[in-house]
Amino acid sequence: MELIILPLILGIIAFFLPTNWVRPFGLLASLSVLAVSFVHLMNFDPENYVLISNPAEIFPLGLTFKMGYDGLALTMVLLTNAVISIILLANWNRDISSNGRFTGLTLLMQCALLGLFTSLDGILFYTFWELTLIPIFLILYWFGKQDNNRALFKFFLYTLLGSLMMLLSFIGLAYFSPSFSYFQLVQANFDGKAVEAALIMGGILFAFAVKIPLFPFHTWQAPTYTNAPMAGTMLLSALMLKMALYGMIKWMIPIGFEGLVYLKWPVITLGGIGIVYGAIIAMKQKDLKTLFAYASISHLGLIAAGIMLFTVSAIEASMVQIINHSIVAIALFLCAGIIEQRLQTRNIEDLGGIAKVAPHFGFWFAVMTFISVSVPFTAGFIGEFVLIKELFTAHWVIGLTAATTLVFGAVYMLRAYQGSMFGPSKVTVFADLTWNEYAVFGILTVAAVGFGLYPQVIIDFIKPSIKFTQELMAGDLTFTK
Amino acid sequence: MDALIIIFITGLIGLFVGMLKKSELTLAVISIGLIGGFISMLFINDYESIFSSYAGLTFSRTQQMFGLLAIALTLLAVWMGYVFYKEETEHTSDYYGLILFSLTGALCLIGFSNMFMFFLGLEILSIPIYVLVGIQKGNSLASEASVKYFFTGSFATAIMLFGIALIYGSTGSFDINEIRMAIDMGMSHSPMLNIGVLMMMAAFLFKVGAVPFHFWGPDVYQGASNAVMAYMASVVKLAALYAFVHLFNYTFSGLTPFVSGLVLFAIIVSLFLGYLSALKQTSFRRMMAYSSIANTGFALFAVLNPQFGEVSLWIFMIGYACSTIALITINMIVENETDEIVNWKGIGYANPLIGITLVISLLSMSGIPPFTGFFGKYLLLSSAFSNYLPFVILAIIASLIGAYLYIRLMVLSLAREGEGKKFKITALQAIVLILSLGGTVGGWLVLMIK
Repeated sequence: MELIILPLILGIIAFFLPTNWVRPFGLLASLSVLAVSFVHLMNFDPENYVLISNPAEIFPLGLTFKMGYDGLALTMVLLTNAVISIILLANWNRDISSNGRFTGLTLLMQCALLGLFTSLDGILFYTFWELTLIPIFLILYWFGKQDNNRALFKFFLYTLLGSLMMLLSFIGLAYFSPSFSYFQLVQANFDGKAVEAALIMGGILFAFAVKIPLFPFHTWQAPTYTNAPMAGTMLLSALMLKMALYGMIKWMIPIGFEGLVYLKWPVITLGGIGIVYGAIIAMKQKDLKTLFAYASISHLGLIAAGIMLFTVSAIEASMVQIINHSIVAIALFLCAGIIEQRLQTRNIEDLGGIAKVAPHFGFWFAVMTFISVSVPFTAGFIGEFVLIKELFTAHWVIGLTAATTLVFGAVYMLRAYQGSMFGPSKVTVFADLTWNEYAVFGILTVAAVGFGLYPQVIIDFIKPSIKFTQELMAGDLTFTK
Repeated sequence: MDALIIIFITGLIGLFVGMLKKSELTLAVISIGLIGGFISMLFINDYESIFSSYAGLTFSRTQQMFGLLAIALTLLAVWMGYVFYKEETEHTSDYYGLILFSLTGALCLIGFSNMFMFFLGLEILSIPIYVLVGIQKGNSLASEASVKYFFTGSFATAIMLFGIALIYGSTGSFDINEIRMAIDMGMSHSPMLNIGVLMMMAAFLFKVGAVPFHFWGPDVYQGASNAVMAYMASVVKLAALYAFVHLFNYTFSGLTPFVSGLVLFAIIVSLFLGYLSALKQTSFRRMMAYSSIANTGFALFAVLNPQFGEVSLWIFMIGYACSTIALITINMIVENETDEIVNWKGIGYANPLIGITLVISLLSMSGIPPFTGFFGKYLLLSSAFSNYLPFVILAIIASLIGAYLYIRLMVLSLAREGEGKKFKITALQAIVLILSLGGTVGGWLVLMIK
């Protein structure tokens, strides 16, 4: 429980701190939450389900207030805490991080995310899902570009519409399950009513598809990213999108498994379209941030398609890829942020020759580019490779479509790198990296290469959870804790 | 019964104490009276009253809860109005006295088990409100509102009375249990009964301010003082909705198939017309009026839910009333000569207490968990889910429009740039804000106790 309450309290404190204390306080706070989650990790056995809140009775409305984690959820918890610390570190040399409201909102966001990943109750899950929206909305509004209300409303209403569809699904689920406990929802008995199951799953999917975003639901993403401050973009792409992917693995498919037959191929097709569409649009972009936003659509389409297969290795690869994408997202948006901070522009056409004046930045940007195009020995290589293999096994057409991501990814990333770093020297003054940026790049590289060399550490961690979920779905397990 | 008597006598005392022109003293007397009423309502079934129980007025557990809520909301409204009426020394005593008399009526309307008591409650509730709306005699808007409300309200009352007469004619009783029995036994399914019920429904829709009887709402809200507006939006609506739901779920439950179509029509039209018109308003009060029309639409889902309708309504109303009182209090702090929404620009960023209250109230009204507004809407919609699915989906679409409305206001008041004036908040206003914030955040926890 302290895992969720700690960032809440720290976040509220951050609002009232004097300006010069906020910066170290934010970083220390996020590190302390990370330390707490490491304590949880030390005492964790992947074969077990840890329940951190487990009231015996069922409250009115079917609420159970169950919270806890398995390997899958704990991975996401650790990812969240690590990413929040890294984001605060990356913003160290910017004005935004000395603003108590920003630090407070980030910590509140962390609280909501941790609650989401550890909730084992439908209504709690929905509550935390909505709660994450409020801090990010305020961060985008207060610290984003001014006069961005239109993009902001689009983002808010679009995601709210998705959430409401999910709520409808949960209301419908109440007719099939005695309570909103995760374990009972997974075992909800549809009596072979596959259409009902598919409808319920569809409602939940709508919420997730907007957040991921899947191909036709992505229109909010690019304007929101471009208007957002660097920290906001990082929070959105490194954490908010992961909520939806995690929700697909943990909630959507296990609950509506009877209806998966109806939705499997439509979603995989959309994912496939997203892979190609995002990549092609990304190739044409001039704004670095927009480019990375579309690249993100392309990467996430692959993960979403892989998750819909719901085989053990596809899910493992998706988890590796989820972690990798968080690393890549922070790295690339930090690069874009650095360029924007020094030059007040992100347009590739105005850039060029930065590598000459700032060789260290040139080097690290190159490393990050390689991580994002998934060269061997990075985590992305493992993830993408296994996902493409799994998709190929399912059908060769989708396998081929997905495989284009390797080529296209290299095209748009190298083009972006080349256009901004080399070429005619349009940029003559460029301050090189500061210590915190070195630190962030270093940590990210170590993580990406580490998981690339030894992805087994993630796989061992989540394999028992997948097995457990499958047993729970098959009803082999009379799990009534 | 004791709670009613305590509140009524406090109202009388308040009238005379108010003449001394010592506003603190009056406030203290009224507050003590209301808290006394609250306590006596809390234990109303636990002790033998010295007043022998009167059959026309019973307080079951649910009715007790509604009564408690009504008294608590009145207390908030009274505290809120203190600053305003301290300066209007001419009307201090009228204000406190009338609001307490009106509350007595509201409690009759909540506890009735007899049509006679029902009508009495309705009148005692309404007549002080007609006066309160027009109490600022110099203000032409207030006079207009008062006259308009009085005339239309009287017509509605007359129609209500006619309906009661017709129902009496066809069932032969004023007692709601006997009417229910007569309807259930099928002895009296006559056109006369149907017309009577229809007339009562029309009058009810007028009292709660639902489409198509909503035209008085915006004008009256604009003319009334802030405290009276808050009282109307919370207590009057609460009592009228409770009576509506209780009568139609319990007494006329045999007629649900006949009534449900009309209620659904009123719900959907109220929701869309309310929210869409609210989007176009530039005046805060008119916006609140339209938003209250839309929220009434939501609350009317309780009429279609015989099982949990009353509990759902209670939860919904605590969320709605607390957020509304918070918003109106903020309006009272912010308002200068005009009540344009533009005045709100940046106030949330500059004043932390206002900012937090405003954000949470608006989020609760847009139906974002874990605030009470969400659980109210959830309860109302989930019980209608199986029978009226298309209407639930329409309601959800409407609530999306509503969310846009509230989030727009939130964004405006949280703007960073702009002057964002600092406002002075008196202690009492701060208490009202914090208490209503508590209701908005934690009101739904009552569900867990029961």
